[in-house]
Amino acid sequence: MRRTLLCLTPVLLLAAQPGFAATESEGLAQVKAFTLEHNAALVANAQKMQGSAEAYAALIAAHGGDYKAAWEAEGPKLAEAVTAMRDQWLAASNEYETIEGIVAGIPSTAKYDLILDAGNPGTEEEDVAEYDLTLPDGTVLKRPGSLFHSITEPLLWGTDKEHVKLDADLNGDGQIGPGELLFDANLALGAAQGMVEWSKALETDMAAWEPNRDDAFTAVVTMTPTVGDYFGEWKESQFLGGEGEAFIARSRLIDVLGIMGGCQRMYNQAISPVVSTDDAALDGSITKGFDELIALVTETRDREAKGDKFTAEEADALGSEAQDIAERIVAQVLQAAAKHGVEIKG
Amino acid sequence: MKIKTQLRYHARPLLAALLVAVTALAAYAALAPRPAPVGVAATDVPFYRLPFGPDDTGQERLFWPSRIRSASGAFSDPTRLPSAADCASCHQQEFHEWAGSLHAIADRDLIYEATVDANVDSVRNPEQGRFCEGCHAPNEMLTGRVNRFVSVQPADALTEGVTCITCHTAIHAQPETGNGAITLAYNRAEYDQDGLTNAALLANPRDHLAAYGAPDTTALMKSSDLCGACHVEIYDHSMSKARSPQVAQSTFLEWRDSWYGQQGVTCQACHMADDPAAQVMAIRNGDLSGPKRFSHRFVGANHLLTDTGMGDTLDVLRGGALPGVSRDLNRDTLTEQARQTEALLRAAAGLELRDQQRRGDTLHLAVAVQNLGAGHNLPTGVNDQKHMWLELTLTDAQGRTLYRSGGPDEAETVAWIEHFQDSKGRRITDHLTFSTAEVNWVRRPIPAKGEDVATYDIPLDGAAQGPLHLTARLEYRVALPDLLYRNLRREMAVPPFTLAELSTDLTDNQP
Repeated sequence: MRRTLLCLTPVLLLAAQPGFAATESEGLAQVKAFTLEHNAALVANAQKMQGSAEAYAALIAAHGGDYKAAWEAEGPKLAEAVTAMRDQWLAASNEYETIEGIVAGIPSTAKYDLILDAGNPGTEEEDVAEYDLTLPDGTVLKRPGSLFHSITEPLLWGTDKEHVKLDADLNGDGQIGPGELLFDANLALGAAQGMVEWSKALETDMAAWEPNRDDAFTAVVTMTPTVGDYFGEWKESQFLGGEGEAFIARSRLIDVLGIMGGCQRMYNQAISPVVSTDDAALDGSITKGFDELIALVTETRDREAKGDKFTAEEADALGSEAQDIAERIVAQVLQAAAKHGVEIKG
Repeated sequence: MKIKTQLRYHARPLLAALLVAVTALAAYAALAPRPAPVGVAATDVPFYRLPFGPDDTGQERLFWPSRIRSASGAFSDPTRLPSAADCASCHQQEFHEWAGSLHAIADRDLIYEATVDANVDSVRNPEQGRFCEGCHAPNEMLTGRVNRFVSVQPADALTEGVTCITCHTAIHAQPETGNGAITLAYNRAEYDQDGLTNAALLANPRDHLAAYGAPDTTALMKSSDLCGACHVEIYDHSMSKARSPQVAQSTFLEWRDSWYGQQGVTCQACHMADDPAAQVMAIRNGDLSGPKRFSHRFVGANHLLTDTGMGDTLDVLRGGALPGVSRDLNRDTLTEQARQTEALLRAAAGLELRDQQRRGDTLHLAVAVQNLGAGHNLPTGVNDQKHMWLELTLTDAQGRTLYRSGGPDEAETVAWIEHFQDSKGRRITDHLTFSTAEVNWVRRPIPAKGEDVATYDIPLDGAAQGPLHLTARLEYRVALPDLLYRNLRREMAVPPFTLAELSTDLTDNQP
């Protein structure tokens, strides 16, 4: 898994260094094309994951739902299916995080962010993912929370203890380490189907989206200030010794890079051409702010990847620093928005 | 004769010099740049929202549900508000003292910030956070930064909580109303910032004095009214679930109705004394003369956010380094702040054994908890968090524990704490003000110069051997661990502070 993570990081870093567009319309079109490209990759990876979940469920079903019997008879195939699902989950998540800052910031597509990645279960009072998930056996999970982080990540990596079916030596080293387990096939398949369904729905709505200035500004001013919250989630995650069930498959910092990279892309390509026409200094200051923000997150992630251990205090301090930069950026973007008569939605 | 001759001799050059001076002054008056108009109209703060509508007279309420007001009726330009670090170029000692205070970090400490976020999230209304920020972040409020979309650039002065300009431009306060009912003339600070600064001020100190030492401000700064505007907090339906006004914090009102209020011993007399604990002890001994020097430490009861034993954790909890504060200065001022805080807390309370009676197999004890030195209730403040409790241990001659009272959260413990309750009667432990419907004391706090006698009936078994020994400790804690866990996501202990101790042999009641 570590190798997968190391491979993914440069991809995100590259994605987070967008160029500038010559005109606003050209930039908006570039943002939309970029989003659709990664949305398509998200769908493809979700479909692969669904295929692996089907194979996994079929192996379990072939033994009448007896996980122990299935493991004894088809251990290597089950281990392969679990590994494949995890890899495909990481690839799908990577694609989504790269466009999350854009998807979540555009009012007409924001609901997909809650359903796919960021929403709470219906038991919470706020930011609930408004959908129900029907499983292959007909069970309907009412408002179960986001597909990536409330359902599939805890399920695949075993922090959702309720759905662990059997501890199993997946890597065949003679020991059962953390995360070596078989999980509920019914939930895995249902959730994978849900990921395909909702990422396709996002693709449809994103294709229908008519890029416009108001949405571009809204996306940047609503999503950029969320950076502090992500550092908070990083602090609570098991990467920093916390007990959070989510953000265990990979560091939340990688997600932060993707999300903030999306905000930077939206600014550089769709908004900068507007701001720079009448206030080059303001445009330069905002651009510099985004560079600083990305540099701070990148440096922190690099240190983590090299093995640095962060304390909760350091996470809080870094989160505050990132939040300060983000707030400075947003104040300037809002000033530009006011100058250009932009309506901020939300 | 000689004088007249000299005058005649010098008359022409003197007249010429006078003419030049008058001409120069006239030219300066005509050509000097006019001070830029101060204040920023509400309509000039992009995306500033007023979701609570106008008041009964149709006036816009820029800062509602906080009752803070801007004297000019406009916002201020953050680039024209001096930070405390700016003031420090001349007022160094005051700055050093203030840097260790809780006022300095009122808008920075992470526990506060996380709690405001939790409150705002609970109602999905960022502008409702103005209720908290009016007192905690007056600079952010008066520049229009407490808003869903923050279009005003940050500045050093805005990162400070209750800072120099807050008190030194205050012109009106309504302490009985509370909830930040204070009027600040930040327009004076903005004007002053356009003029001479730093050492050059000495050339014309009158403008600076007019900005920060105007008679209305000077009078208010000597009065407890200034403190009361924020140290009274009453929840109502405009910002909580309360159907009738719920008094959550009444420190000023407690003081006003106390012996201290009647004697004219102001908040400043103790909390701004150079040595607050010594001042309290002097008052306890009947000396009502005020402190010889006033300090800007505003020493209070928060022993957690001054606890230098926490090391770097303290710095992080306090929101990092203040502008203009070096690591050494921070360490030194916090060390002194901690020392003064602990000394003040120890001067506040006392314990006395009032009664001990053997009643068959039961030992009856009465312990008086005394408010000896606080000019307000004990405890005071927001008492869903700040609370105290009595810990009692009874041992026999062999050191065997015959009785030990429980911790602060156990039902039988004698504890002075408020319970915030939501509209379904469930207790709120994480200071979700906006969800609070009722505020109820579990046990009423102890008024100034008052006492509360706690009684215990302790069953004794036949094996107990005298002499029995009683230890009692009055413990104080500034916050519930739940506040930190739920809002800041930190599982960390909040150590109690021992306000008073009693240790005595019960020689009259041997088993």
